[in-house]
Amino acid sequence: MARRRSRRESSALRDLFGAFLPLSVRDVGSEIEERLRKVPTRLNEFGYDAFGLHLDTVRQAAVPAVLLYRHYFRVETHGIRRVPPGRVLLVANHAGQLPFDGMMLATAMLMEAEPPRICRAMAEYWIPSIPWFNVLAARSGVLVGTPENCIAMLEAGECVMVFPEGVRGMNKTFDRRYKLQRFGLGFMRLALETETPVVPVAIVGSEEQQPGLANLPRVGRLLGMPAFPITATFPWLGPLGLWPFPVKYRIHFGEPLRFEGAPSDEDAAIQEKVDVVRHAIEDLFTRGLAERRGVFR
Amino acid sequence: MEKVLITGISGGQGRLLARRLQERYEVCGVDRVPWEGHPRGIAVHVVDLRKKKFEDVFRAELPTAVVHMGFIRHFRSAEGLRHDVNVRGTKQLLDHCTHYGVQNLVVFSSGYVYGAFPENPYYMDEDQPLSASRSYPEIRDLVEVDTLASAFIWKYPHIRTSVLRPVNVLGSFVHSMIGEYLRQRRVPTVMGFDPMMQFIHEEDVCEAVALALEHGLQGVFNVTGPGAVPLHTAIRESGGTPLPLPEPLVRPFFERLFRWGLWPYPTGALDYLKYPVTLSGKRFVDATNFRCLFGLEEIFQSVRR
Repeated sequence: MARRRSRRESSALRDLFGAFLPLSVRDVGSEIEERLRKVPTRLNEFGYDAFGLHLDTVRQAAVPAVLLYRHYFRVETHGIRRVPPGRVLLVANHAGQLPFDGMMLATAMLMEAEPPRICRAMAEYWIPSIPWFNVLAARSGVLVGTPENCIAMLEAGECVMVFPEGVRGMNKTFDRRYKLQRFGLGFMRLALETETPVVPVAIVGSEEQQPGLANLPRVGRLLGMPAFPITATFPWLGPLGLWPFPVKYRIHFGEPLRFEGAPSDEDAAIQEKVDVVRHAIEDLFTRGLAERRGVFR
Repeated sequence: MEKVLITGISGGQGRLLARRLQERYEVCGVDRVPWEGHPRGIAVHVVDLRKKKFEDVFRAELPTAVVHMGFIRHFRSAEGLRHDVNVRGTKQLLDHCTHYGVQNLVVFSSGYVYGAFPENPYYMDEDQPLSASRSYPEIRDLVEVDTLASAFIWKYPHIRTSVLRPVNVLGSFVHSMIGEYLRQRRVPTVMGFDPMMQFIHEEDVCEAVALALEHGLQGVFNVTGPGAVPLHTAIRESGGTPLPLPEPLVRPFFERLFRWGLWPYPTGALDYLKYPVTLSGKRFVDATNFRCLFGLEEIFQSVRR
């Protein structure tokens, strides 16, 4: 009984708090709710799916993401209709020191894809050991990037986004912008094993959001971080120095690619297939960069 | 009628299982403590699994099937005793099974043997390595028992042996560490962590053991319940209030409390409150068509204070 009452109180509090929010924010909230209602998910009686996804949390976390999406990065998508229904791997470039590119891609899939999809992200092994962040990540659909998890997600028909460059891409220096770093091969083996279509995605904009001047991975290791970037504002302004500049994001989706072959092939054979995806993203880069008017507009 | 010997018959789970199996089998059991008021027709022998008297029980009863669940699961006993009883007791039991013509053996292991780590995938299958002792050395005896039993499957293929690894068992009768933990009024958790946890009802566990016996299962099987919820949801649904404590404080604090005997769990258990240890029960379901009867809400209801 006490539990029920406290729930009701907290929802009343939320309404009160909501009343003070600007109208546009409240609209965004209800719009997200509308979109989430169309997402096919399997939740248990407590509102969680088997992997810890919680739609209420997604709804709350999506509000700032959508505000950033519309008003800060002013994201444009091209060809989002090409993402096929059912299981799919979105393979994208990774840049910009902090993974805003992942957040914007996931927001695009939630707000613009038909039907809306919740992107499941495959994260680094150390993500679950970060207090609070690990809970938020799990509730919004992020999993540790083990092959088992990825296969489970794909077999459940989910949309999984992967960044095969990993930290190599995220913390690269500015002179290497729009130059794809070495791709991991794991995603291709999983795509072959589960016969999943791969959609190449080029995110134009994130590569300029926080230009890296240098990377000191050894210092990072001392601090327990995978990298230690030096940028115009980091570490001079503290953690806030990693906040991205208001670049304009343009997300280009390519045609879905289907691959056939043995998932246990040797690296060279897998590498050929990975290069197909890589070139597809590079082509999208070329087009996207030629079409855009500027970095910030 | 076949005869089943249950070790640990006086425990909550053992008593339930004895009553459950009584209809189909002749049931006898051993335990270190007596079962006051046990039903007629069930012979209960008070013996230490490590002693010769245990072999006498085998010689006298000549069971055709054995369910091994006589383990010390708490950490209150003197150092080393838990390990000795669990591991050496299992070794003795396996030897007796080979000498006295047992045809069917079910070893009741635990889902904790995989260990709680940040890199754990969700819904681990039975082929995952058993790494619990890496971060939780106090339960390495469970890992060793599991390993002994799994090796036994291959050494004596004519004895139908199954090793069951159930997820967190809850219920009104079973004395599980997780049950005691959830029955507290204020339940300490690690601040900033809320892993998914799976639960299964004690009655469903009995059903699983019975199915393993009936099917004469051979192999290692995870046994899972109706699903997973975050730890904090489990605590609230069981009628408690989560008390999140910062980890740098909680580790040294609980380590001292444990050493002084004021807190029942070693600090290694904290990792199970931080990282998900979720198992896939597919192999068991495929082999037996097992379906659990109790849903999550009923499971939590059973431990509400």
